[in-house]
Amino acid sequence: MSENNTNQKEYGFLIDASRCIDCRACLVACSVQNEVSNSTSRIWIKETGVTGQFPDLSRYSAPYHCMHCDDPSCVSACTVGALQKGENGIVTYDIDRCIGCRYCMYACPFGVPNFEWDIQLPLIVKCDMCVSRLGDGESEPACAATCPTDAIMFGEKGSMLAQAHQRIEENPTKYVDHVYGETENGGTATFYVSPVPFEELGFPTGGVVSPAYSNRLVTHGTPAVAGSVAIGLSGIYLTIKRHHHEGEPVAEGVVAEGETAVTNTPDEAAEE
Amino acid sequence: MSIKKIIDEIKSFSIGYYILAVIAAAGLSVGAYRLYAGLGETTNLSKAFPWGIWISFDLSTVAFSGGAFTLAALVYVFHLHELHPAVRPTVLAGLIGYSSVLVILFMDLGRWDRFYHFLIFPNINSALFEVSWCIALYSTILIYELSPVLLQNSRFSGVLPLIEKWTMPLVIAGVTLSTLHQSSLGTLFIVMSARLHPLWYSLFLPVFFLISSLAAGLSMVISGAIVSYWVFKRTLAPKIIAELAWFIPWVLGIYLVLKLGELLITDELHLLFTSGIYSVLFLTELAIGVIIPIILFSFDKVRRSRVGALIGALMVLAGVVLNRFNASWFAIRPVAGEIYKPHWMEVAILIGVAASAVLIYSLVAHYFPVFDETVVVTPAEENGRKSRRLLRPRVSGD
Repeated sequence: MSENNTNQKEYGFLIDASRCIDCRACLVACSVQNEVSNSTSRIWIKETGVTGQFPDLSRYSAPYHCMHCDDPSCVSACTVGALQKGENGIVTYDIDRCIGCRYCMYACPFGVPNFEWDIQLPLIVKCDMCVSRLGDGESEPACAATCPTDAIMFGEKGSMLAQAHQRIEENPTKYVDHVYGETENGGTATFYVSPVPFEELGFPTGGVVSPAYSNRLVTHGTPAVAGSVAIGLSGIYLTIKRHHHEGEPVAEGVVAEGETAVTNTPDEAAEE
Repeated sequence: MSIKKIIDEIKSFSIGYYILAVIAAAGLSVGAYRLYAGLGETTNLSKAFPWGIWISFDLSTVAFSGGAFTLAALVYVFHLHELHPAVRPTVLAGLIGYSSVLVILFMDLGRWDRFYHFLIFPNINSALFEVSWCIALYSTILIYELSPVLLQNSRFSGVLPLIEKWTMPLVIAGVTLSTLHQSSLGTLFIVMSARLHPLWYSLFLPVFFLISSLAAGLSMVISGAIVSYWVFKRTLAPKIIAELAWFIPWVLGIYLVLKLGELLITDELHLLFTSGIYSVLFLTELAIGVIIPIILFSFDKVRRSRVGALIGALMVLAGVVLNRFNASWFAIRPVAGEIYKPHWMEVAILIGVAASAVLIYSLVAHYFPVFDETVVVTPAEENGRKSRRLLRPRVSGD
């Protein structure tokens, strides 16, 4: 385990809503880097709108993209396994596998996966931390590299989380005492700090357990259900058939024989 | 058969066939356009509502087609052979139902050119993966179960004993696969906890979907037999219909207890009356599809009356449809006030597929011995009904 950790670092984001000036340079950089079609986007701005009474007005915003969950619902849902959680923490998307069923869009509690509605043979559009760019030796995804106010920071996941807590500790009056993304949906690799509650920014307030967990609980029961249904049905079929053939059992010995046969039927069925 | 003979044959069809063929052709043309143009122009699906009326249709139709596996289990596994006359019409309806679902699913896929990917790129955690596999395998088994009907009067009738020999294992495989995918359609929504209203969301969704598909399946067989009485002049003996109907209060009773029990355990009973439109939808669904049918079918008189049984069965079906539409559409919470209303093309494609389904059912029933063991309606019984009522649209064939 420890070897793995030293070889493969997990990436993460730290996004500070107090630093975001809503310039949307990250949106442009992302679309250019990833050649995203005009009608879609991998990254948005969530914002509070203008609040307060003149002249004390305020407005906060924050860039918003895939959270790269620890146990991603989309990965659990994807019919063909096009979405995968990598050891480096990135939830990647395989454009050659996707069948466009859009189950991931419903599965994601953050409403992240987008879809190329206007294209003949569309695909899902989703942040992959610019994984190809990182592979080319760059140190950061396009959004983080472009951000003029360092609202988006990128680095090792543990250090991002530590910095998030550090900022709150150093400035408890400035920030809400909550690192968004630390526990949301069972934990993610994107950590937000903000001067206003996250609901006001329009962030979803989900549970702390990923539904991927419940999903696995049920889907992993499938082989057991299949096996017991098949064996149970065969057992019922053979039992009733035997009784039909034997007619009405009179002697006690016949009944006993019938009963042992009943207990054997599941095995017989399994052999068939 | 010469071309002239074929033309004469086609000319001999009643007007109903032509109307269905025109509707089907129109709907399927819209479908072809959808495949060409993409989803944006032809549907009102969006980021907030990536699934729409097509998925709701699929869920309802699969539940209806549950008749095939329910009946197969009762007749073959539980040896209730007196129900056998219903098998062929129900298996045919089931096969056509599943085929419609496959066509609509194909329409729904953004990358329909890669539909086969579910076969080669498995994700065992995905409910949709399991559903796809089970439906594909089960449709194959339904073709097998139907093959005696298609081969009986052909020159290939020699293989019938061989088919007969393997029927039992395949029936059991079919019932097992049905159990899996009927329940997995409920599992689909388990990962959607953020969107589905808590009145419907439950870890028991797979169980709810399975049990309600049993009730829908039985109701399908009953209403199918009664509608056939008028449409095809063939029906099941009243005794068989009454026997099938006898199961319904039991199945629905278990369903009702589990549904309310789940709300009680999760402390959500108060939502029954405090969720506004969602409460109305949920209570309507339970009243129409569960509570009233339980009461109706508890009376022997209703079970033996053609009209009574039909009304009861149609109510169960309506309740199941509402349940599936709720779970996949009406009770999916809107994002930022955005709601979904289907585009006319989405609806047109559905109508086209439904018309094709009815047309194919009627044609197969016309040329093959589907109703061989059913009861012929005699002119006297028919009470002077005119034969031009042929091809009334069937709820069951959809």
